[in-house]
Amino acid sequence: MSTKKKAAKTSKSARKPKGGAMRSTRAAMSVATSARSTVKERVAAMAEAPLAVCESDKDLQAMLNVLRNKEEPVEVRLAAMDSLATAAFSVIKFESCRNDYIATLREVAQDPDPKIRESALGLLAGEKDGFAQKKLLEGLQNREKALVPPEKALQLLSYDVHAEAYSVARDIVEKPPNADAKREALRLLAADATSAPLFEKLLRDKDELREIRQISASALHGLNPGKLQRHAREMLLDNSEYDDIQATCLTALTQFGDDEAVGKDEALLKSVDRFSAGKTSSKYKQSARRFLSKYGR
Amino acid sequence: MNVELQINNSISPSARFVTWAPSPCRIRVTNPSGATAPIVNVQITGVSVASGGAVVFRGNTTGAFSNSLTVPVPINGTSVPFFVAGRFGRPSVNNGDVRIEARNGTTLVGSVSVMVRVRKNAEALTPGERDRFVAAFAQLNNQGAGRFADFRSMHTNVSSPQAHGAPGFLPWHRAYLLDLERELQAIDPSVALPYWRFDQPAPKLFTLDFFGVSGPNGTIQFSNTNPLQFWVTDGVQGINRGPRNNWNPATQPGPTVITEAQTLLLGTQYPAFSGMEGNPHGTAHTRWNGFIRQIGTAAKDPLFFLLHCNVDRLWAKWQRQNGRFDPAHAASFDSNPGNPIGHNLVDTMWPWNGITGGTRPPTAPGGAMASSPCVSAPGPQPRVRSSLDYQGSVNALSREGFDYDDVRFA
Amino acid sequence: MQNVATASVQSEPQFAALVDALAADPNRREQLTELLREDHLLYDQRGSATTVRMRGWVLLALARAGVSDAALLFVLEELDTGVDAYLVAAAARALRSYPSPNAAFAPFVMRALTNIRYHDELVSFEGYGEYAISSTGTSPVRELLATLAWLGPHARGALREVESLRAQRGGLSKKLLIDVDRAVEAIRDADQVDEPGTDTCCTLPSGLSNTFSWALSSRRGSEPIESTVFEDHEGASITFKEFFRGHPSIVVFFYTRCDNALKCSLTVTKLARVQKLLEARGLADQIHTAAITYDPAFDLPARIRGYGQNRGVRMDDRHRMLRTTDGVNALRRHFKLGVNFIESLVNRHRIEAYILDAEGRIAACFERMHWDEQQVVDRTIEVLQEKSDETTSEVSPGPADCPARHKTKTVSPIFGTLASLGVAFFPKCPICWAGYLSVFSIAGLNQIPYSPWLQPMLVAVMLINLASVWLRGRLTGRMSGFYLVSAGAFAIVLLNMGLGWENAAVWGVALTLAGSLMSALSGKNASQVVE
Repeated sequence: MSTKKKAAKTSKSARKPKGGAMRSTRAAMSVATSARSTVKERVAAMAEAPLAVCESDKDLQAMLNVLRNKEEPVEVRLAAMDSLATAAFSVIKFESCRNDYIATLREVAQDPDPKIRESALGLLAGEKDGFAQKKLLEGLQNREKALVPPEKALQLLSYDVHAEAYSVARDIVEKPPNADAKREALRLLAADATSAPLFEKLLRDKDELREIRQISASALHGLNPGKLQRHAREMLLDNSEYDDIQATCLTALTQFGDDEAVGKDEALLKSVDRFSAGKTSSKYKQSARRFLSKYGR
Repeated sequence: MNVELQINNSISPSARFVTWAPSPCRIRVTNPSGATAPIVNVQITGVSVASGGAVVFRGNTTGAFSNSLTVPVPINGTSVPFFVAGRFGRPSVNNGDVRIEARNGTTLVGSVSVMVRVRKNAEALTPGERDRFVAAFAQLNNQGAGRFADFRSMHTNVSSPQAHGAPGFLPWHRAYLLDLERELQAIDPSVALPYWRFDQPAPKLFTLDFFGVSGPNGTIQFSNTNPLQFWVTDGVQGINRGPRNNWNPATQPGPTVITEAQTLLLGTQYPAFSGMEGNPHGTAHTRWNGFIRQIGTAAKDPLFFLLHCNVDRLWAKWQRQNGRFDPAHAASFDSNPGNPIGHNLVDTMWPWNGITGGTRPPTAPGGAMASSPCVSAPGPQPRVRSSLDYQGSVNALSREGFDYDDVRFA
Repeated sequence: MQNVATASVQSEPQFAALVDALAADPNRREQLTELLREDHLLYDQRGSATTVRMRGWVLLALARAGVSDAALLFVLEELDTGVDAYLVAAAARALRSYPSPNAAFAPFVMRALTNIRYHDELVSFEGYGEYAISSTGTSPVRELLATLAWLGPHARGALREVESLRAQRGGLSKKLLIDVDRAVEAIRDADQVDEPGTDTCCTLPSGLSNTFSWALSSRRGSEPIESTVFEDHEGASITFKEFFRGHPSIVVFFYTRCDNALKCSLTVTKLARVQKLLEARGLADQIHTAAITYDPAFDLPARIRGYGQNRGVRMDDRHRMLRTTDGVNALRRHFKLGVNFIESLVNRHRIEAYILDAEGRIAACFERMHWDEQQVVDRTIEVLQEKSDETTSEVSPGPADCPARHKTKTVSPIFGTLASLGVAFFPKCPICWAGYLSVFSIAGLNQIPYSPWLQPMLVAVMLINLASVWLRGRLTGRMSGFYLVSAGAFAIVLLNMGLGWENAAVWGVALTLAGSLMSALSGKNASQVVE
């Protein structure tokens, strides 16, 4: 795809007014959609008058055309997408624009430019759009059809728990194409009730990466808080455990623990006491002290 | 002799929170022993710890504030009113870091500890304030099973017409933030909602110990001691948020977001000013990838509330600058016969009104507006108009019990 | 009953081909309606988006083939609570293929319009599974406005609301405003005005009887699920029998991850309102309520407790949020739940609420459409007040603002015996006829002319009795009555009528009587439900 840079010709209307005041919507839109302005000017102008598209179908179509036009610079196209996404927040005013907006997002979700694709798919995924979900799943099942990297596809699919992605996420945990993809797959599986045993296993695996174990702790906290409490306790009693994961366990117990049970657990309290006095970071010690003071120690 | 001090006309410790707007108080003699006259002069002063809050007083609903106040109090137990307010620019850092003392001569006859509790710039919070806020927020979420689920449900695609794209945008979000803040204060009363100045860099906010750092894939990472690591919404763990277009929110202001100065210059009439829903509000949302980027998912990200706190602060500042607190003043709002339901001054606001079906969403999560031990406004079912006079500038009874660190009372 | 051959349908294209084939075949079109049942095997292990594509294609097929009364329910359901643009658009289009417009449809169309207007998007009906990626195509709002135009004067009740679409600030695009004008014009069209009084607001076609079913005397026992174990919102364990037996109950189904606020969230909110109505009448201790999650693996006690609290649900020993810890499939079968899953996650479900009697049997069921809280309470009070030995019921048609009711009749086995008597001893000629009826001359029956058509009619009644006894035997598991009645019928029809063995008639009648009585007295559910 070519990204032609337009000749830099700063017209009077493209220049922002002095003193911080805003130029008129018409002026801003004129600059935004003009190929004669620079990329920087157009991006700035698009941000100034996002609601213009709601007031004029002509402006709406002009902005959508910029977004669709593969000949336009990518930055300008992304700015057009941002401007439309901004206008979409004004739901009532945006009502007349939405149909064309969604259709255009689907079109550019298959754009040659990866940033455009990822941006469009992100917005569609937030709408739980079936088209986007279908494309993302296809891409995970067949790398040649992938529109975004696997970790991004998994992240976007996680917007909708109903997006039939658990099976492919499990496959990716087993055989991750990269570390990011494994992490995102695990985050997605945090909504899958049957994955609790997987998270228990990962949480207790000292050879696993810290971040994986942290994800597992919070996932298990959502799927089976009782089990997390038990594991957290055991891990705090285990002197050979890493400080950082012990700190996560402490946080879980401090925030969400069964106060009555924890308050009576002498072994646990002593272990945390040792932790607070041991060779660990000051932040972790502070966390331990907070825990202990909650239980009157 | 002993006296009783009532802050916000209450003896309850839960009411001992003040803002820049004057709080009604009362003093009365509870034990007259030692008194030599039927009326005694009691001097009321504020005593602050270093870097703590400070308060000022006045005897009436109008007039200047001063650092101390002498009040003639009958010894028969009749209470006498007075007013206390935080001294502008001196908010508290901890609960009770300001003591109001009552003396008869040099004898201390009564005291209460209060907090000057206002909404601050997130960048200005101490580590203690930050940690308390984050802990309260995580508790409200409670791995997806807490009351936060209602706040998430209040801001979805289904309910969006109640609060967006029409004049009720600013009043509705003000009420929304207030409701959330009161729920946080029910967990920890020392907490106030901070705001994110999206037109400035925020090096402290976007850290592992506060609102997290975006990973390479746009998933937020937290430190092991940050309780927000357990954040769950819609049954899904974690927060998706990544800055777009190579922007670093810790070191750069939001690109193309208009500045505070520009926002305040949008216009002196409400219709013009409310265009800020586009920029800076919408633009602040869409500088990110992730939940916060669109209406249906924005409230899944706790940053949403700090973003809107700043939006609300900008409105508050504009109101102060232009004297736009009175709903009866045409320039304070955009009243138009074509406004949809929920966007007229007299309309009650969903979901607090409990009205469902028809032009309102099918359910009303969260129930009535949370109450406050400090104030009675806006009541369980606020109307659009009640959001305007949040400081009680027009009617003292309209005071809603919050203020911004940089928006004066008068 | 799933008549459609599902074994061969694995992929979405295969499904689409099946639907197209059914739509094209007038003899098999009715099977399309079956494909709209959520619990249909074809939706098992499909994701929600896939389910939407599949259901939408069925609705579009119905739009081409014509919507029957049976399918109408599903179409109106989609308009009532649908939030997916594709499905709402398809349903709106399908509605226009119903044989005639009806004023009762207008509120559904307006409701759909309210639900979807700010989430309108272009949809493509060109091919299966297509999504609109250009500005051509239709949209749910467009289809709904077209349906309003089709309704014409039948939508008079909604005229003001339709006109207000124009007046609102912001609002619809110019193209859609043209459609609004078209709809308004059609609604105002005086030429199409019906006779006064022929078109009341809620005279829904009789095909909507399935929204509410009421079975006073034909309730299946709850034995299959009595030992199902639940965990409640506090984590306490309780079996079905322990919670539901001894008092009537109102049961709804939900799950916390339902993203359609018009379904689960509203259902549980309404349950809270039902509880308040019960409290107001002092019945909260006598009538229990329960909300059972479809998603027990994920919906742990803290989650369902929070969900209920956030919707104002009362929770105590008599009013619980429940999850099954075992026996979820038995529960699904027993209630015939309108739900399907992908792994353990719901992919789609209908709205469903049940009234259980004091034995834990399903007494009434409200399906698909949103039920009225007061109606549910009133019905439950009837169950509370019913006598245990009540055996017959004929539910009269309800008031005009309620869905049409499902009539039940019971066929007594005695009629079958009498029919068999009639067949066995039917006069073979007019003289014998006169002779028989002279016995009844006091009743004036001798005036009835010889009616040879009576015999085949009596044979038919006898066969109906046979079928009835067979069904009863299947329900109770005791077939001996059926065998006796079969033997009796064989004796009468083949041996007496066919071969002329006179004694066979007596034996036939005796066997029929014995078999019928045995069937009637065996088991609890001795009555037959016949539509």
